Amino acid sequence: MKKVRVGAGASGWPDFKDGALDVAENGDIDYISFDHLAELTMAILQNQYAKDNTRGYIPEVVPLMKSLLPIWKKKDKHFKMCSNGGGANPSGCADAVLKLSQDLNLGGIKIGVITGDTLPLTKIDEMAAKGWKFINMDTGEDNLSQYRDRLLAAYVYIGADKIIEAYEQDADLVIGGRLSDNSLYIGNFMHPLGWKFTDEYWDQIGSGVCVGHLLECSSWSAGTCSNLWEQIKYPKGNPGFPIAEMYENGDAIVTKTETSGGLVQSLTLKEHLVYEVHDPHNYIMPDGICDLTQIKLEDIGPNKVKVTKWSDKPRGKPRPENLKLCMAYNDGFISEELTIISGPKVFKQADKAYDFVVKRLDYLGLKPKEMLWSLVGWDSLTGPTAPPRPDEEHEPPELGIRVAFKCDTKEEARACRTECGHLCWGTLGVGAGFTNPPAIRPVFALYPTLIPREEVPLELEIKEVK
Amino acid sequence: MAKKKIKVRDIAWYRSGDKGDIANIGLMAKGDKEYEILKEEVTPDRIKAHFKDWCKGDVVIYPMDNLQSIEIVMFKSLGGGATKTLRVDQTGKAMCVGLSRMELEVDESVLPTTV
Repeated sequence: MKKVRVGAGASGWPDFKDGALDVAENGDIDYISFDHLAELTMAILQNQYAKDNTRGYIPEVVPLMKSLLPIWKKKDKHFKMCSNGGGANPSGCADAVLKLSQDLNLGGIKIGVITGDTLPLTKIDEMAAKGWKFINMDTGEDNLSQYRDRLLAAYVYIGADKIIEAYEQDADLVIGGRLSDNSLYIGNFMHPLGWKFTDEYWDQIGSGVCVGHLLECSSWSAGTCSNLWEQIKYPKGNPGFPIAEMYENGDAIVTKTETSGGLVQSLTLKEHLVYEVHDPHNYIMPDGICDLTQIKLEDIGPNKVKVTKWSDKPRGKPRPENLKLCMAYNDGFISEELTIISGPKVFKQADKAYDFVVKRLDYLGLKPKEMLWSLVGWDSLTGPTAPPRPDEEHEPPELGIRVAFKCDTKEEARACRTECGHLCWGTLGVGAGFTNPPAIRPVFALYPTLIPREEVPLELEIKEVK
Repeated sequence: MAKKKIKVRDIAWYRSGDKGDIANIGLMAKGDKEYEILKEEVTPDRIKAHFKDWCKGDVVIYPMDNLQSIEIVMFKSLGGGATKTLRVDQTGKAMCVGLSRMELEVDESVLPTTV
């Protein structure tokens, strides 16, 4: 049976760079993929590109490729690579990699450049005028017009179609923008295994969506962020990235290199299969819909898990007709401040500081849209689910007070922070310490919605050094 | 029948994340009996009561027999979502830790001997 070995290369910006290099060097891979984009990264990159058309891609791509391409070159098996690090400027990113390959004297390299995922805001207006309803997927509301004058950027989570086309044209590396994390991997399965977007392949593609999900967060399914952390070892300080051996029938073996730390076990994969998937019967990706309740995990050896069918029901359903469209808009500014207070009586001091801050906001006429008061070391991560406070004898020796404000303007956010965050330490007992607050940040809020696939024509351009 | 108080973390592993303002918690049972308890005792009403004003929307639970896990989807539960929230935990990674502390009252007869 035909099979292909696909490695994870990155799952964000930044990620452990050596994870990708280890997979490339020691993973015996045919393909490797790099996801560099978080939910908001595209909006930030589009903003950069609008100001300077030589920027707008993930700068990390270049040093990563500088380390990776020599490995790619020296291997007998020249694995193929796929990246969404092009961000808002895939073409500029490809040019930078081509220049790098010349500087490194690597000889020929072919890059497939995918564009079309970034939409001009005029396109949104045209579609709204034609009657398309941009329903907010988070809230179910149809209220885009309310945010129209604050919109900054619009981008579509696109599928693997053009990745496959690029590989068919012998691209060594594919660079795109908002290629969905999952599609970066689906292309690597579909191209070599000959799967098509047709009825006979939805089961395999469904499994591919599942395995793609296991790979797309890199080390997260190989033992990082795990319930098993106490037994997971990093002898050399290098986490492992997962590698999937995918078979023609959609079954797979997930593993990692022996040269890396971490752990691949059914539980570390299970941790990832219940992670951020929402309705597990319909895990919807641009290239297919996976029914995660039809996946079976089985430990077959150290760091080896077999991923097969749970029953005779299909693991996948046809890909959706609509693609996910994300729009970013301005939503004010956030400021925050952290003060560490010394005991005894840390809780009593914290309550007194809270009372002071609430009164002082009022006294100064400051009206933040939102304020969050939390105690670091007690309830900052889990809010109302934190345990009851201990009696004074069992209190921690110190506690952090973190206060955060959301305001319409940067000036007001700064005033809240200085007057009612930073200065509040002075009203406390002896021995409070304060930290350098992070910069006041603009809030880019997201409006997630859907757009018909045919409204998002994509383009593929091949760039190369011969 | 004698009842015993346990915590969710006594019978399940946990992991959580986000999508917009939706918190998504996966609970993975530590065994067969534990999975039955999870399905029976971890309910939307109890979750909402446990998280108080941090959970402002509906809670939907999907059992996954194949992984002996339940997938919990909590709407309007991240203070507006990663990019808008004032919380330290912008992407809901610790929501599962909060849920792991929830107390359940269970018949001793259905508990595995290890709990």
